[in-house]
Amino acid sequence: MSEVKKNENTTAPKVDTRKMEINKFSLLFNKMGIWIIVIALMILGMIVSKGQFFTSSNIQSILEAVALTGMVCSGLFYVTYSGNMTDMSVPITMAFGGVMAIQCINFGFIGAILAGVLTGVVIGLINGFMIGKMRANAIIWTLALNLLLSGVIRVVWQGKMLYAEKIADEAHQNSANLFYSISRTYIGGIISLMAIVMLVMFVISWLILTQTGFGQKLKIIGTNYEVARFSGIDCTKQIITAYVINGVCSSIAGIFYAALRKCASYENGTGYDFDALTAILLGGVALTGGKGSMVGTFGGVLAYGLLNNCLSWIGLGTYTKYLVQGIVFLFIVWMNTYSNRKLGKA
Amino acid sequence: MSNEVYALDMQKVSKRFPGTLAVDQVDFRVKKGEVHALMGENGAGKSTLMKMLNGLFNDYTGDIYINGEKKLLHSPSLAKEAGIGMVYQELSLARRISIYENLLVGRLPKKNALFIDKKKAIEESKKLLARVGLDYIDPTKDISEISQCEAQLVEIAKVLGFNPSIIVMDEPTSALSSEEVNRLYGIIRQLKAEGLAIVYISHHLAEIFEIADNVTVMRDGKLVGSLPVTETNPDHLVEMMVGTPVQNFYKDHETKIQDEVVLSAHDFTRWGFFHHVDFELHKGEVLAICGLAGAGRTEIARGLIGVDKTDGGTVKIHGKEVHFKNFGEAIANGLGYLTEDRKVVGLALNQTVADNVTTCIIDKYSKGILFKPSSLNNLVDEKINEMSVYPADRNRLVGSFSGGNQQKVLMAKWLASEVDILILDEPTRGVDVNAKQVIHNVVKNYVSKGNSVILLSSDLPEVVGLADRAVILREGHIIGEIQKKDMTENSILMAANGEGEFVKCQK
Repeated sequence: MSEVKKNENTTAPKVDTRKMEINKFSLLFNKMGIWIIVIALMILGMIVSKGQFFTSSNIQSILEAVALTGMVCSGLFYVTYSGNMTDMSVPITMAFGGVMAIQCINFGFIGAILAGVLTGVVIGLINGFMIGKMRANAIIWTLALNLLLSGVIRVVWQGKMLYAEKIADEAHQNSANLFYSISRTYIGGIISLMAIVMLVMFVISWLILTQTGFGQKLKIIGTNYEVARFSGIDCTKQIITAYVINGVCSSIAGIFYAALRKCASYENGTGYDFDALTAILLGGVALTGGKGSMVGTFGGVLAYGLLNNCLSWIGLGTYTKYLVQGIVFLFIVWMNTYSNRKLGKA
Repeated sequence: MSNEVYALDMQKVSKRFPGTLAVDQVDFRVKKGEVHALMGENGAGKSTLMKMLNGLFNDYTGDIYINGEKKLLHSPSLAKEAGIGMVYQELSLARRISIYENLLVGRLPKKNALFIDKKKAIEESKKLLARVGLDYIDPTKDISEISQCEAQLVEIAKVLGFNPSIIVMDEPTSALSSEEVNRLYGIIRQLKAEGLAIVYISHHLAEIFEIADNVTVMRDGKLVGSLPVTETNPDHLVEMMVGTPVQNFYKDHETKIQDEVVLSAHDFTRWGFFHHVDFELHKGEVLAICGLAGAGRTEIARGLIGVDKTDGGTVKIHGKEVHFKNFGEAIANGLGYLTEDRKVVGLALNQTVADNVTTCIIDKYSKGILFKPSSLNNLVDEKINEMSVYPADRNRLVGSFSGGNQQKVLMAKWLASEVDILILDEPTRGVDVNAKQVIHNVVKNYVSKGNSVILLSSDLPEVVGLADRAVILREGHIIGEIQKKDMTENSILMAANGEGEFVKCQK
């Protein structure tokens, strides 16, 4: 087996005799990460679509398809980054956000949006309090909250669908229409408002992560909670903040979802928890916390959308699509781990 | 090579990690019935060499002969079969299951296909425990119910269960008191008499001269030399490890204590951990709190910084009474705490040096909510240069540094925080001679600027060398005080055991 002796040339002076070359490709992949995949998928898309990939209508449909997932990701990132893995109550935050927005449509359009976002803030505070202050297990607690709130919605609204135009009184029919239109507005007739909002949310999230004390503290908390505690960082406050940001982002996504579907109910948002988590992990964020970037996360979201789009161009059926998606995602996650290991970072 | 058959013979072994050649063409031989010490600074490659022996790498190069037979040690199970037993520095016992289950892990005797023969397992465990002098212990107890020292011996018993011909002990005494160390020596001598080859890794020179027959020194992944203990002395060994002769450690320490009391504790109590503790810390003073393991030193520190709730008493900083609700408040009031275990609560190993050094000062250097990590680069560089961290690269992951340099980074973190009272909990545990000297010099420098230090250390030479005054803690009570002039390793040890002239009161 390893009988072969490698001949190491080590006739060297004192300083750094042991430094050696490291794998170039791993270094590149580690830096660029998911964006290499994004570029590869774009090239693939060009080929399979015979040049129609970069038409405005196709780009538009890619962005629209990932807009909601992207909005969730821009907030869920903080939960993963803080070392709390994922938030299982994302679906119900989306649903509740939409329900509250439509229920409050009689306070006018702005009132409805604020009500939706406020719902996200409250859910974030509850999660943050339980996980940051009471140190509940993040997965179990959010899973339980998801069930609990879904029960609350079903009981209070008796499992009914909520339609804005039915709830709105005469004076507020305009608000209802305006509410529905937010998911159907195209800025300059080209880019959907949803995609713009997603991009803005990513930019804000990126600024929070890289330019504030909160982002830096969360990095240490995510890497090692005890170290953060013994460095005088107020962990509770930072974790609550992370969950509140997450709640706000999820509820915004929920509002857009309700507007897109033209109704709100307890089942809005189902599946978005895992879609978003997949995109985050594709972007190279570590599930254990403390590692990852907003740029990478955005890449993960794009890769998610691009792959779907490419597969549609190829003309695969839904079942085959799942299969190919699974294989590609496994490959990307493996590449992440592999390059980290080659660089001695994992 | 002679015709003599070695128990272990490693020839020209090398192991490369991404970016480094950690072990470089090393020859290492151990005879039967010999205690062979392996020494070197942190990062010299000792641990890597021993991990190789324990089968943790499948890509080493070179040949390993066990009892004259060539073996491939590509997995831990192969190493076990070849007769190699490893006693780790950090205990590898599962704390919440019983001793016998730990001892016989992976080979519990079975009654039939399904059930475990508990009776036989307990009998077998008793035999193993008897070999390490623990015949009085009930093997059905959980590991968490026995003392650290006993756990260390159980660990050795566990290794003996595999009938090894070579036992590797990595810093086996790091958590033991001196009494317990002597007990361990007895067992080592007995194993040696049974014909086992023992590889003994330690930073404590005194231990080497006490127990080892031969010593091998490594530096920068290479073999420096191998010689009988009788042919060397501590200075010579240190010189071999470091590469240059080291001057005497503690000679230039001048005390510049001022009368001003910066921190005082009165009647400070946390029931069950420490009781009615009184002490005063002066400006420019290094105050050691000495005591045996479990005397409550760390608990006092945790109480002072507000991490643990305390039950009574007053703490004053600069004459003002304080009640910290969390550590952040303590730091804001100028009280820092360098934690004992750098890997668990000291450093975020997966982050860079810069991230670690700045953890305590994020709020201090924030403008509103805004914080720019790169604005602190100069400060970070200054501190890691002051600590002579090698390599001095602020963007390197802390986990990739050797133990000594990690400890320097931890110290740099507290220097950067600019607190004026610093509690140092085992500031040099498990670090090499060179790093130790750097850290000691920095501590001296720190107090000479009018700061104060509370030193919690079980390293007696360190206490004698650094401290200006020592208070003695025994079972949570302060039982005496020793001034600088009376301080020797012996007087401290006696007092810590509750004996001698410096003990004022038995609790």
